[in-house]
Amino acid sequence: MATAESAATPPTAQPTRIGPVLVAMSIGAVVSIGLGLFGRLHHPTGVAINLAGFSSGLAVKTWLTTAAFLFAIVQLVTGMAIFGRIPLKGAWLGPVHRWSGRVAVLLVTPVAVHCLYALGFADFSTRALIHSILGCLFFGAFVCKMLVLTRDDAPGWVLPVLGGLVFSLLAALFATAAVWFFVYRGFTF
Amino acid sequence: MTHRSPLLTLAAVAIFFAAMLTADFLVHPSAGSATAGAPSTTPPSPISSASPAATPTQPASTPATSRPITSPAASATKRAYQDQFPHKVVYAGRSEDGHLAIAVAVLGDRAAAYICDGRSREAWLRGTVDGDSLRLTSRQGYRLTAELDDGRLEGEVRGDGRHWKFEIRPAEKPAGLYRAKGSTTTVGWIRLADGSVVGVATGADGTSEAAPPLGSDDEAQVDGQTVQATPVNGDDEI
Repeated sequence: MATAESAATPPTAQPTRIGPVLVAMSIGAVVSIGLGLFGRLHHPTGVAINLAGFSSGLAVKTWLTTAAFLFAIVQLVTGMAIFGRIPLKGAWLGPVHRWSGRVAVLLVTPVAVHCLYALGFADFSTRALIHSILGCLFFGAFVCKMLVLTRDDAPGWVLPVLGGLVFSLLAALFATAAVWFFVYRGFTF
Repeated sequence: MTHRSPLLTLAAVAIFFAAMLTADFLVHPSAGSATAGAPSTTPPSPISSASPAATPTQPASTPATSRPITSPAASATKRAYQDQFPHKVVYAGRSEDGHLAIAVAVLGDRAAAYICDGRSREAWLRGTVDGDSLRLTSRQGYRLTAELDDGRLEGEVRGDGRHWKFEIRPAEKPAGLYRAKGSTTTVGWIRLADGSVVGVATGADGTSEAAPPLGSDDEAQVDGQTVQATPVNGDDEI
């Protein structure tokens, strides 16, 4: 983290405050726990609203997640460029970063709702348990990052850490569900 | 401006999330009424005070970005997927004539089943899920076909020159399908919704007899030893 600090800190004279970041983290934690509780307490229906043109609800989710992951890679690249970790420059970085993120999170939202409503917080296998936990953490981390973005006075390392966390969680969710689906079901639509 | 946009993003996601969840509650009401109060608590947002007010009344009016994903496609296909197996479920019950106890475990797109008469007839079957129907076979040539009908599993078992019709319901633990292996004997038990247990044990020589009693702790005496019976999942190798 110390390495990110030097390059990441925007040139502001303002003193940084950790308090608002802690508040954002608490709200994120509440979101994660709330999602987990809902997934656990709600009786899974096995079905939920689906999209036309795919062989099953799981296929829809797999492709939405895959698309979201591609946008997340754009996020990673533009995010690193914004903080000067890779030599890309331009006024386009910010808008591309923001909009790829919005698209990615809108793509995974119906997936998460289907997970929560139809399948619930599952622990029938290690994969399902890990996926359930990470799914809850992902939305908590996302909420936390959005809240921190509204502040100028957060320490410089906070955003890269949160961004990296959101990306890592999405990558792990992708690996524990979509990649698993492709391996076991084949490359189907 | 920049500083408000993350909040707008967050609110849009929260509203979209709540709208999809609300639509789910309307289209596929949960079987368990114990959690009927859940929808009011679910929008994941202490942040977006806008969403609880906006969504219950107008689930269709999600932000512009989300509209192509939700409404037209969802309404077009919601019926097609209504009869779908839960990801993980076990059905248990008796054949219509009462002769057989039948248990079918489903996990994802794979299914495992056990049929037995509690005396000498038994078969382990494996197969796959295809939409709302199942097709399973055993090594001895038993075939089980079934389909979902309003949450129940309806079908028939054929084998040994006979056939049995059945209509069985999802089993709530401790009801379900159990299996244990001794040093030479394999035992299957079906614990029915009324608590009764039907099972058959088959030794290495292929002879079958009534299963030993299955305790409430899922333990049984097999081949002179205490063994732990385990619940059978739809994807188990049986």
